Amino acid sequence: MSSWLDYTINGLIVGNVYALVAVGLALIFGVSRLINFAQGSIYLVGAYIGWVAVVQLHTPLPLTIIVVAVAAALVGLIIERFGLRPLQNSVRIAPLLATIGISFVLDQLVMLTFSPNPRALPSQLPDVRFQVGGGTIGPLDLLIAGVGLTSALLLFVFLRYSKLGWAVRAASQDRDAAMQMGVDVNRVNQAVFGIAAALGGVSGMLVGMYYNQIDTAMSLQATLKGVVAEVVGGAGNVPGAVIGSLLLGLVESYGVAVFGTSYRNLFAFLLLVVVLVLRPNGLFASARQAPPEPLTGTFIAPSRPVRIPRWALLAAAAIFAVLPFFPVSFYVLQTLINAWLLGMLALSLTLVAGTIGQVSLGHAALLAIGAYTSALLSMTLSVPVGLSIIGGGLMCAALGTALISPSFRLRGHYVSIATLAIGEIVSLVILNWESVTRGPIGISGIPPLSLFGYDLISPTSIYWFSFAVMVVLALLQGRLLTSHLGRSFRAIRDDDIAARAYGLSLNRYKSLAFIFGGFAAGVSGGIAAHLYSYINHETFNTQQSILALTVVILGGLGNVVGAILGSVALVGLPEVFRIAAEYRILIYGIVLLLLVRFRPQGLLGTM
Amino acid sequence: MTTSAPEPLLALSNVNTFYGQAQVHFDLSITVARGHIVCLLGGNASGKSTTMKIILGLVKPRSGDVTFDGASLIGLTTPQIVRRGIASVPEARRLFADMSVRENILMGAFVRNDREAIAQDLDRMLTLFPKLGQRLSQRAGSLSGGEQQMVAMARALMSRPRMIVMDEPTMGLSPLYVDRVLELIRTINQEGVSVFMVEQNASLALEIAHEAYVLQTGKIVLSGPARALKDDPRIRDAYLGGSEAA
Ligand SMILES: Nc1ncnc2c1ncn2[C@@H]1O[C@H](COP(=O)(O)OP(=O)(O)OP(=O)(O)O)[C@@H](O)[C@H]1O
Ligand SMILES: [Mg+2]
Repeated sequence: MSSWLDYTINGLIVGNVYALVAVGLALIFGVSRLINFAQGSIYLVGAYIGWVAVVQLHTPLPLTIIVVAVAAALVGLIIERFGLRPLQNSVRIAPLLATIGISFVLDQLVMLTFSPNPRALPSQLPDVRFQVGGGTIGPLDLLIAGVGLTSALLLFVFLRYSKLGWAVRAASQDRDAAMQMGVDVNRVNQAVFGIAAALGGVSGMLVGMYYNQIDTAMSLQATLKGVVAEVVGGAGNVPGAVIGSLLLGLVESYGVAVFGTSYRNLFAFLLLVVVLVLRPNGLFASARQAPPEPLTGTFIAPSRPVRIPRWALLAAAAIFAVLPFFPVSFYVLQTLINAWLLGMLALSLTLVAGTIGQVSLGHAALLAIGAYTSALLSMTLSVPVGLSIIGGGLMCAALGTALISPSFRLRGHYVSIATLAIGEIVSLVILNWESVTRGPIGISGIPPLSLFGYDLISPTSIYWFSFAVMVVLALLQGRLLTSHLGRSFRAIRDDDIAARAYGLSLNRYKSLAFIFGGFAAGVSGGIAAHLYSYINHETFNTQQSILALTVVILGGLGNVVGAILGSVALVGLPEVFRIAAEYRILIYGIVLLLLVRFRPQGLLGTM
Repeated sequence: MTTSAPEPLLALSNVNTFYGQAQVHFDLSITVARGHIVCLLGGNASGKSTTMKIILGLVKPRSGDVTFDGASLIGLTTPQIVRRGIASVPEARRLFADMSVRENILMGAFVRNDREAIAQDLDRMLTLFPKLGQRLSQRAGSLSGGEQQMVAMARALMSRPRMIVMDEPTMGLSPLYVDRVLELIRTINQEGVSVFMVEQNASLALEIAHEAYVLQTGKIVLSGPARALKDDPRIRDAYLGGSEAA
């Protein structure tokens, strides 16, 4: 049995690793007010470069570290130069979305190059442990601590004594004023991305050695942990990020000691949500508030939506409605059913992200809530399946809104972080609440869809059912947008301060939007549960949240028809072109990047 | 040209500026002669700060030209413009709040590489602004407004500029500090630095300026030698008109 000292050492070591990621995030946030969601991907790339160096090139450890740092820095420079710099004058959400797209592309490239199977990454260090007090410590622990301290020292020297370091500090305090002193902000961005990437890459390599295993799932976890540590320490605050990381490492380690390993991440995200709600500027924020997120109009690309004549919509709906009468293959129907389910999720997200401006990155959690509720209602309480799906929608509306409500006072990027964390929390609760959700085993044998006692088993009937539900939801949402309520939603999105000044209660309107959106997403999840007949805590994951976001941006934020068109396009086109499954996520990432760069208003325009 | 007026140091000619759809400047033309203090007066939201930003390249005009020492600044980045010899004291000072006073002043010399001369200039700033001597290692954000103004001016001078542009340098200062700041601007100017300053307080600014322009909702409605404008009743009218239009 490990001692408390062991848990403390473990917490500090893991904290050190997080710090390497979080410091980079803090540097980037400081200079660009951007949360770099690609940071974890660089960490992943670092781990695999380390693997190539150690296992294939047999480099000695010091050389491995240098190779990883340099290669990762190069990746960071490329991201900055080609992914982000072209977006300098775009809407504020553009760089955030771009980093999400970049992270998908990088992760998939690593996966395609190295296969998703885990690999061992030997540390090349002797496997001995020394007794220290009541605990033990090994050479790898010392290496990680050493790398952490050395990096901190180098960073300190850089920021304090080099000219570029001064420029970084000045730019992160006041970008315009720094430019007026002659600071070239592009160079500063380059420096910051290079440093962040080098630290992140080395961190990934060290973690791989620590657990002697690397796999592609590391990426998202690293981003999340880094973001948690950074926000706990105060966004943009470099020393704060270090302390936040160590704190996070300790909280996790003690949490694991008391409750078990499957709780590790739960503690991380709860810590994040608590900090976001109570001290959104971080634990150590000075009285001076962090610069507020931009308020007006600039967050979402303003544009004039494409007007689609009513007859065209009716005709399209009619064609899809009668499609099963034609000799279409099972495969086509299956694809379209997926599109309709994704369409419901996209309707929900386009309302929340587009119409009221809360860019959610955890929307798949709503699917999970709806799916589990409907599955459990129908199985344990024998509720008829049609009703159980509505129950899933209602539960999702209520629970989803309640869960998200702590983040109502947040804006911009913070909403995205909070929703991401809440999404993770939902999936972790599902994993750990075994008495209800059956934990990691998942729920199997979910009864098929049925309506008024008739089972819907044929693809045709499922097709009609899901299509009809989506159309009804879309019509309701269309009505909502043209109503007074819809106008209030947009007023809040465009200028929440002014909206508040006009007496609009932000919380009430945000709740209403999430209730409506939650219902649509919950229904989608409910249908999916009965369709799949088996679900577990990983069925609805962040990839789907991001896919939904891509759909919504493709269609045009806030645009109802756009959400459906986007779903059909993103689900259908890969099928049409017979693109192998493993390339799809890569393509979604590339689509997202291209959209952000060339058509941020989407195909049909934002509303 | 027979009487050939000397080429101005800075000239804005027919500048039109937009923020999105909204036009902020209408055919704005302003010149600053070498060695002069030129003042841009105007009420709130008349477009004064935007004029500064145009000169510094922080905002791009839709049409028109800005020349400095005969060469156009259009298309240059802010750091490039600064390297041509224009320093600035931004609206509300905009010090680097978490850096020390010393670091703030030295940031002003960012475009220079002559270490010894920079150190000498730092000493010179301390004679020009003696109060800053005791505050060198203090966080700039913790200084009083008047002290911050001194730091901002010292910071601007550290680049050894040919011209300084200042946005409301007396804003929010007590009368004592206002006099001090105006005195310093005059001193700086006498050492050969041209000054373009934006002010709301016309009577104060006209005390030290050579020429002045009055801006009203993006248009120059009045301009001329400061001496002539000092007693011009139209100055008051321009302000009132400006605030009515706003
Ligand atoms: N970044 C911006 N985006 C949109 N509009 C802006 C922006 N900056 C300024 N404006 C608008 O342009 C107009 C002129 O602003 P500017 O700051 O130049 O005025 P000013 O004369 O300096 O006012 P003050 O005396 O209050 O400082 C104002 O109506 C302002 O709202
Ligand atoms: Mg102003």
